[in-house]
Amino acid sequence: LNGHRFSGDGVARTKILLLGLRRAGKTSIQQVLFNNLPPKQTFYLETTMRIVKHTFDTVIPLEIWDCPGNITVETLNAPLSQFSTMIFVIDIRDLYNQPISKLVEFIVAAYQDNPNMSLEVFVHKAEKLQEDDKIENFRQIHERVSDRLLDISPEYEQVQLNFHLTSVYDHSLHEAFSKVLHKLIDSLPYLEDLLNVFCANSQSPKAFLFDTTSRLYIATDASPVDSATYNLCCDYLQMLNSFGTLYKSATGNARKQLPATPPPSASSSLSPIPPNASSSSDPSTPTATTPPPNVTTHRPSRDLFYPSASTSLHPSTPGTTLTYHLITPQLALLALLPTSVYEGRRGLIEFNVVFFREGVQEICEVEKEARCGG
Amino acid sequence: MKKKVLLMGASGSGKTSMRSLIFSNNPASLTARLGATIDVEQNHVRFLGDLILNLWDCGGQDAFMDSYLTTQRSTIFQHVGVMIYVFDVETHGMSKDLEYYRDCLDGLKNFSPDANVFLLVHKMDLARQPKNLTFDKKKRELEEASGESAVTVFGTSIYDESLYKAWSSIVHTLIPNAAVLSRHLTTFAAACSATEVILFERTTFLVIATSSPVVPDTLSPVGTEPGNLDRHQLDPTRYERTSELVKAFKHSCSRVREEFHSLEMELYNFTAVLDEMTRNTYVLIIVHDPTIETAALKLNIRMARRKFEELQGDSLIS
Ligand SMILES: Nc1nc2c(ncn2[C@@H]2O[C@H](COP(=O)(O)OP(=O)(O)OP(=O)(O)O)[C@@H](O)[C@H]2O)c(=O)[nH]1
Ligand SMILES: Nc1nc2c(ncn2[C@@H]2O[C@H](COP(=O)(O)OP(=O)(O)O)[C@@H](O)[C@H]2O)c(=O)[nH]1
Ligand SMILES: [Mg+2]
Repeated sequence: LNGHRFSGDGVARTKILLLGLRRAGKTSIQQVLFNNLPPKQTFYLETTMRIVKHTFDTVIPLEIWDCPGNITVETLNAPLSQFSTMIFVIDIRDLYNQPISKLVEFIVAAYQDNPNMSLEVFVHKAEKLQEDDKIENFRQIHERVSDRLLDISPEYEQVQLNFHLTSVYDHSLHEAFSKVLHKLIDSLPYLEDLLNVFCANSQSPKAFLFDTTSRLYIATDASPVDSATYNLCCDYLQMLNSFGTLYKSATGNARKQLPATPPPSASSSLSPIPPNASSSSDPSTPTATTPPPNVTTHRPSRDLFYPSASTSLHPSTPGTTLTYHLITPQLALLALLPTSVYEGRRGLIEFNVVFFREGVQEICEVEKEARCGG
Repeated sequence: MKKKVLLMGASGSGKTSMRSLIFSNNPASLTARLGATIDVEQNHVRFLGDLILNLWDCGGQDAFMDSYLTTQRSTIFQHVGVMIYVFDVETHGMSKDLEYYRDCLDGLKNFSPDANVFLLVHKMDLARQPKNLTFDKKKRELEEASGESAVTVFGTSIYDESLYKAWSSIVHTLIPNAAVLSRHLTTFAAACSATEVILFERTTFLVIATSSPVVPDTLSPVGTEPGNLDRHQLDPTRYERTSELVKAFKHSCSRVREEFHSLEMELYNFTAVLDEMTRNTYVLIIVHDPTIETAALKLNIRMARRKFEELQGDSLIS
């Protein structure tokens, strides 16, 4: 496993190096993604003086190194071969020599020590510029970096560099970081397969497996990702996260929460859920204090409770329903479904979710064993 | 039935910004593009059934203010239901602000003595730390300047839920029979085994009534909620934060040309359904009893619809 090293907690973490000049936005990026800092609050962040290592646990355990702006390959004091990814953050208005030189310096070193490392450039604070200037600056930065590399040696033509436009004020940062993350997940093809199966069986045009706290997507089905849809899912998740705490009862009576890690029996046999009665309940039933008898429950038959939610996006059919199902303590499935399918074939959807959940939990188990047992 | 709402305050204090957030569902980030309002911008907003808010956004530049207080005096100040006066928390011209404010109070006393007065200490996000002390000081200053007149003061910002809290309180005073709605919501909550039921206006998502006795309001003492609610000790900012959350999500939906319609959640701690109640309202039912299904709640909403359409009609006949 390239780039995985055991750290303090005995877990082999995938390491990501976060570089860039002072005030480029590195700490902001880290805090907004992984510490739920509201974007406006990044204004008050203090300058990073020493390397700060942040750990984050999702499908794979991450360790993100937030570096001070003046760091060099020498003062990093760690071999570049340790890192799976290098993210270089550059302010989109910063077209000058200094950040480009620094970036090129790191690319050259990384290419020598660790040719497998993915090299990502976040052209950051993109929301500050109008559309035309944004594209122009992005192009110029890209071009200057490539030119400088070729000046050094034609060999660098092969270096695979990925450029992203990002800003903490919209979801472009989440989308870019998701793409960075995908390259680090060994089990990605299996997760994608599960999503494809789910979409095909549920008539879903698009489904994402999300990390619930960071709102990064871990995987998606094979249909192309449209940023607008991703943004909507991100906002939906954010709303659900906020609601979750807002109406929380101080006196408990919470449902049985998932343990921090999935139960070891994750691969036990599937217990099918009885198909749910359609929701067209008899409207003549009087107002009830208890659920009407013709509404079958669709709780998972295991004693664990998995939160779920749905929102309908159009008052009439054919509309779209956006569903949310928790899959593991950290991951959730968000899917777009035709409202007619969601309402008419609820039992089938729930069954597909259970099947999907079993698969993902199994994959997470395997990932985990590889990290700890290795 | 029309209710006239005056929106006044110095130029740049944030009147048009808050109007565009509450009534047009624009995001806060877009308000930077607003130009100064010239003279008075009038808007009619159909609020609840037959209740129409007639919003007068009065441009705050001195020349306009002077004319409101002299030649336009009777036009501006007659038939007013509510006057909202906005103060920028970090203003440099407080004494001039106060002078204009006192003159407006006088105008109101002459032409609409029964009008309610709300004072908003706005842009609280920019207030000097500690914010609560800054606010308290401003509030005292404003209450002093108001003399005999009863006023309600709120701290607000377009960047958080405080704006919804203030505006929910304001519109609440304009709904003649809100107490009746509340009573029926309480009955409805019991029928649903709900901890709480909240009724929102459809487009603004301002809170109209809740199953607890009074809508959130600084005028009412805290802790007067019924037993069931007491037991759960829910977050006291939940009403305005719900408005803010749903408004933000509605905006996300509109960006992909979708229209938010309904929401149901079965989370660890509670079950909830947010759905259309009447043509003008949405209802949120919060249940902490894990045996209650969302399908049952939706059924109850469907069956309560007609009753609430009637009530809403009745409550506005006055
Ligand atoms: N920081 C901060 N800025 C705000 C807030 N509300 C409004 N603003 C900004 O204040 C500026 C002026 O807002 P307007 O709404 O045009 O002010 P106005 O009171 O309508 O001004 P006139 O029409 O000239 O009377 C805009 O740039 C808004 O973005 C707030 O709560 N916090
Ligand atoms: N406009 C804008 N400002 C940003 C963005 N990201 C960060 N900033 C600001 O950039 C400044 C420096 O950020 P910081 O994270 O401390 O930079 P670092 O030194 O690279 O860690 C802060 O004032 C942030 O508020 C962004 O996407 N857009
Ligand atoms: Mg204005």
